[in-house]
Amino acid sequence: MSTTVTQDMSFLHLISSASLLVQLVMLILVMISLLSWWFIFRKLFVIRNEIKKTDDFEDIFWRGADMNALYQRTTSARYDSGSMERIFAAGFSEFNKHPPGSDLEAVMDSTRRAMRATYQREMDYLESHLSFLATVGSVSPYIGLLGTVWGIMNSFRSLSSVTQATIAHVAPGIAEALIATAMGLFAAIPAVVAYNRYASGTDQLATRFESFMEELSNVLQRRAAG
Amino acid sequence: MSVSVLRNFSHSEPKSLLAGVLAVLVHLVFVALMIFGLNWKDHPPEGMIVDIWTELPKSVQEPVKTQPPPKQPKPVQESVKPKSEPEPEPPKPEPPKPELTKSEPPKPAPQKATTPPIKKPDIAMKEKPEPIKEAKPDVEEQKKKEREKIKEQERLKELEKQKELEKKKELEKQKELEKQKEFEKQKELEKQKELQKQKEKEQAVQRQREQEAKAQREAEAKRAAQQAAARNQITNEISKYKAMILAKIRSRIVMPPDLPGNPVVEFNVTLLPGGDILDVRLSKSSGHTAFDSAVERAIFLSKPLPLPPDPTLFNEFRNLNITVHYRE
Repeated sequence: MSTTVTQDMSFLHLISSASLLVQLVMLILVMISLLSWWFIFRKLFVIRNEIKKTDDFEDIFWRGADMNALYQRTTSARYDSGSMERIFAAGFSEFNKHPPGSDLEAVMDSTRRAMRATYQREMDYLESHLSFLATVGSVSPYIGLLGTVWGIMNSFRSLSSVTQATIAHVAPGIAEALIATAMGLFAAIPAVVAYNRYASGTDQLATRFESFMEELSNVLQRRAAG
Repeated sequence: MSVSVLRNFSHSEPKSLLAGVLAVLVHLVFVALMIFGLNWKDHPPEGMIVDIWTELPKSVQEPVKTQPPPKQPKPVQESVKPKSEPEPEPPKPEPPKPELTKSEPPKPAPQKATTPPIKKPDIAMKEKPEPIKEAKPDVEEQKKKEREKIKEQERLKELEKQKELEKKKELEKQKELEKQKEFEKQKELEKQKELQKQKEKEQAVQRQREQEAKAQREAEAKRAAQQAAARNQITNEISKYKAMILAKIRSRIVMPPDLPGNPVVEFNVTLLPGGDILDVRLSKSSGHTAFDSAVERAIFLSKPLPLPPDPTLFNEFRNLNITVHYRE
């Protein structure tokens, strides 16, 4: 820190004049923040899309649509299908693979297994990157704090060579150090909010899928028996 | 239809590119906020210019005294000078002005002085041409006379005008002088008033001081009286309790019968707070051991001894000298 009182306190100057470690911390935080925001938007779109498709499918299914037609539609429109449709398709195809007259118990078991496997895969897809958001939310404040502590250490160390210590000697260092904390918080706060929101969203979807699986197996069992 | 087909369902992630763009956008907004939104200190704080007044009352007086000079007619120096003495700075530039103005008014006076002499020759001329008229009654001379008369009339008119002007000026001057005098009188009155006020204030202050001194004296007297009363009370209390102690001891003594004369025994008693007896020493024997031991027993029997409730008085009772006479 120079002894002049009038420091260039502009944001960019503060960043460029920070020590190497602080700059490194800032770089890491910027990358983390970018990534976490990318995932936040991706998950936002994915989960919103999933909820909409699940709504649509349940609407169609419970209105009494023909299962064969639904299955055809699902398999033909591969990339446009929702998770619930895929669970339905997996179960329905497994159910249909068994020749008529085979043991109902065994058929239903294998159908349920097939649906559960798809369900697991779908949930895995929906919950992907959520753990990253959680990690960012919990860790990035600490990274920012590390940069801040380091910067403040440096700015106080520079005080030792000065006989008359004024706030002007320390202020720029602390300001630049605090930018690191600000960045950490900027990365963490949205990540935590998004994680909580998306976790509850996927939980709701999971319960809907599970109840649908139970209901579908009942319907299929009745169909086989009838 | 096979399971493999279903398994190959890849998750088409919607708008992942849009998400990336949005993420970058959010950061750009944040950085812009940091750069432009926060007003980072760019300008050094400008130094404040502060006038330091060593004496506050002066600043209050100055406007009052600077105002009068413009009102005052300039020629009055005497009235300005006494005021300029307490306050050297502001009136200084002004006094020179009155001198200049003073020098100006005299100027018209010499002009007046010059004009009258002109008159007199005219009058003399008038007197002189008259005999000439009589001698030579020519038309030309008459014309000349007429012209001269006209001229004289004009001159007279001018003279009258000048006289009037002079009168007016004199009147104005008188008025100004009167005004000045009034101002001076007012100022003197004000000064007197201020002086009176100051005197009154001083008197009031003195009265207050006297009153305070009186109050202090009274308070001191009261305190002294109180202290004396307290001392009296304390001594009374002490003597009272000593008498009580002696009476209590005396009531417990089982007197040995038929001792000759009036023997006296003295004991030195050390007391504990609360009236308990720590130690009893025979300081002066009566010569009769039976009487001495009887009194000693009585002292021990009479514990706790009565003590005043005020613990500060205990020091008076810590070491008691008890003298007992055989006969009262």
